Amino acid sequence: MKVRYLIKFSKESEIKFVGHLDLMRTIQRMMKRSGLPVAYSQGFNPHINLSLAQPLAVGIYSSGDYFDAPLEEDVPELKVKEALNQSAPPGIRIFEVVKIKEEDDHQKVFKSMAVIDAAKYTIRIRYKNTDLLNEEMKALFEMKEWNIVKKSKRQEKEVDIRTMIKDIEYKVVEKILVIEAVVSCGSRENLSPELIAQFVKIHTTNWDSEAFTDIKRQEMYAALENKLIPLYKFVKMR
Amino acid sequence: MNRISDDILSKVEKPSRYTGGELNSCTKDKESIQIRYAFCFPDVYEVGMSHLGMKILYYVLNKREDTWCERVFAPWPDMEKLMREKNIQLYGLESKDSLKEFDFLGFTLQYEMSYSNILNMLDLAGIPVRASKRSEDDPVVMFGGPCAYNPEPLYDIADLFVMGEGEDVINEIVDLYKEVKGKGKAYFLRKVSAVAGVYVPSLYEVEYRDDGTIEKFYPKEEGVPKKVKKRIITDFNNSVYPDKFVVPYNEIVHDRIVMETFRGCTRGCRFCQAGMVYRPVREKHADRLIADAEKLLKSTGYEEISLSSLSICDYSDIQNLVFSIMEKYEKEKVGVSLPSLRIDSFSVELIKQIQKVRKTGLTFAPEAGTQRLRDVINKGVTEKNLIDSVSSAFKSGWSTIKLYFMIGLPYETEEDIMGIADLAQKVVDEYYKIPKEDRKKGLKVNLSTSIFVPKPFTPFQWEPQIRMEDISDKIKVLRSSIKSRQIFYSWHETPVSYLEAVFARGDRRLCDVLVKAFEKGAKFDGWTEHFKFDSWKEALEESGVEGDFYAYRKREYEEILPWDFIEIGVDKRYLISESEKAKNAVATQDCRLGCTNCGVNVNLEGKCFEGAVSN
Repeated sequence: MKVRYLIKFSKESEIKFVGHLDLMRTIQRMMKRSGLPVAYSQGFNPHINLSLAQPLAVGIYSSGDYFDAPLEEDVPELKVKEALNQSAPPGIRIFEVVKIKEEDDHQKVFKSMAVIDAAKYTIRIRYKNTDLLNEEMKALFEMKEWNIVKKSKRQEKEVDIRTMIKDIEYKVVEKILVIEAVVSCGSRENLSPELIAQFVKIHTTNWDSEAFTDIKRQEMYAALENKLIPLYKFVKMR
Repeated sequence: MNRISDDILSKVEKPSRYTGGELNSCTKDKESIQIRYAFCFPDVYEVGMSHLGMKILYYVLNKREDTWCERVFAPWPDMEKLMREKNIQLYGLESKDSLKEFDFLGFTLQYEMSYSNILNMLDLAGIPVRASKRSEDDPVVMFGGPCAYNPEPLYDIADLFVMGEGEDVINEIVDLYKEVKGKGKAYFLRKVSAVAGVYVPSLYEVEYRDDGTIEKFYPKEEGVPKKVKKRIITDFNNSVYPDKFVVPYNEIVHDRIVMETFRGCTRGCRFCQAGMVYRPVREKHADRLIADAEKLLKSTGYEEISLSSLSICDYSDIQNLVFSIMEKYEKEKVGVSLPSLRIDSFSVELIKQIQKVRKTGLTFAPEAGTQRLRDVINKGVTEKNLIDSVSSAFKSGWSTIKLYFMIGLPYETEEDIMGIADLAQKVVDEYYKIPKEDRKKGLKVNLSTSIFVPKPFTPFQWEPQIRMEDISDKIKVLRSSIKSRQIFYSWHETPVSYLEAVFARGDRRLCDVLVKAFEKGAKFDGWTEHFKFDSWKEALEESGVEGDFYAYRKREYEEILPWDFIEIGVDKRYLISESEKAKNAVATQDCRLGCTNCGVNVNLEGKCFEGAVSN
């Protein structure tokens, strides 16, 4: 009997530039090295049926990412965690392993990507000079709508990103603007943290155009009775 | 230590080329080691990381407690630009320390067109490109790999060259270095010139005749060996092999486990340098390979094992090896790939059994279009071999066939060129002979040609390369001879192969050309988008060097060739007799069927077919 596990992991800062497909391949190899009874798909091209909750953009790292994967047998969660941490490459750590209970009434396979509602990000923007920054941020927070043009492959359209921000705070530490935000994430509604950074840059001055904007995903959440619950807890409560 | 900031990394293509920190990469405490070695591959990360020689030597050197070996690749021009702007010196991927801080820089010479990258890499580290201009503080720069068999165009870039297989000699060199450390570079170089397989170019002198050929080549000092003999591993079955590979985060060219099944090749194709310089044939036993594969699968998590050699179906225990691996890892879904298929039905049968999905086309290399020319080059393949192979491939569900040929081979006529089109057509005809229900739809015959480059230590080392303008004509003839719309012809018509020919058989005078071309910005010459022929033409002109002298000139057997002082084990006498046989289109048998007296078993300590189950 196949058992699916939800696994919370980090994509460390040192591998932030590794793309989604390369990260998937890296996780597959980590699983192969672990010696766990990994389950493979049937058919001509057998592979590990791995699914990542929400792909991270190149350049963004994370201490709260999730993938789910099947094993051929029921292995204790702690053992899975240990085995994966031992086989993990330097840029990945495993924090939580939770067995996913199958739903009784219908045979639907749980997919973490389907239950995600929100994610928390820390965004760090470097400024050359922060004298005006507090004033500018105050003005920005007074704006009712945060309209910005969102470019996708097919179209450009103006969106109000404020409606997708569930919580946002900022502080200025030395010459860095540190924003912490909980925003919509997942297949229903998704706000890219890069868009927030872009919006802030449009409405502030003196940011360092040579500097890399550092973005870290902290956690991912599912909604339960109007509360946002970290995904690994949500799976246990369900 | 350099800090490669995110500000920089975010601006370049594929940043993981420059960050290191991959699984199984080796870090050591700088305080606890005595020798720092940088293994440098003069091409981009994804290419260099696929190179087996680097994996082996990285492992051999890091096994030593006194040595830390790191990896270095040529930064892509976008990164190079930023490094120069921000004054970041080229660094070892593991420590991020500048190459200047290393004891050794070891470059591998895989193809001539990477030479400009070597100079660029030295320069990026702030190290003078010419050995004669470097100081005591600069690292020892050493070269090895197949192109080291004609070291002369790099004579003033290298401090030393290594001829042949590096596993043992690298330890001897490092040991000696450690022993005489502090006595100066000149002292070390003089000492190391006595190590078998080592060539120190600064200890030799060349004199030329008025016609540009070599008059004399000799050691400058008493006691420096007159000849340099290639090194080989004698007990290949027990030779050292890594139990782990560095596993990159981003995809590389050969992203899989490589098992080296045997060295050398017995076929004796007359155009092939590898076939001559890697002799004698020595095999590893299947059980050794299976044991190594087990360790590598565990340490890397790779899903594919590639069985490497010059001609995999010549491995004496191939069936056993392939099926043992497949069976053992059936549950883990590990695939086996065979990268060098012979043109015969046995090979097709084997690949059919291991490749469940006919994902990619099958590739065959008849090399020449007529039987006469295949006999000239001693490619022991007949038209019947090819037709039987493709017929069996079509019946097994393949519908894409790739065919490789060379143009510009010695003694080639128009008939031979038209023969290429003719052979491709016969492959098409063979497809239609098979009943519709037994073959897969969508036939594609991908035909490609490359331009022949005569190489040192082959029976064709005396032959002129065909002129660039004649190549155009031949390609035209071939294009107009192709009738079927199922044949897709692609070709390279580029002066790169001219330069390759110049450097492959060049002498010391080409070193100036190389330095000039580098100064004019030459880099990544093997990459079409970066190759600038004009820089090279100017460099040749300004150095007063005639490229045609090296590429287009027919040499006499009596001439002293720039690489004559190197002994590869195969006798010159044998190369001459092979060259004569080529003239008369007489084939030489595969030496598994009986010794052809090339001399390697007499001249070197290695036995032919060492380790083979049968031959």
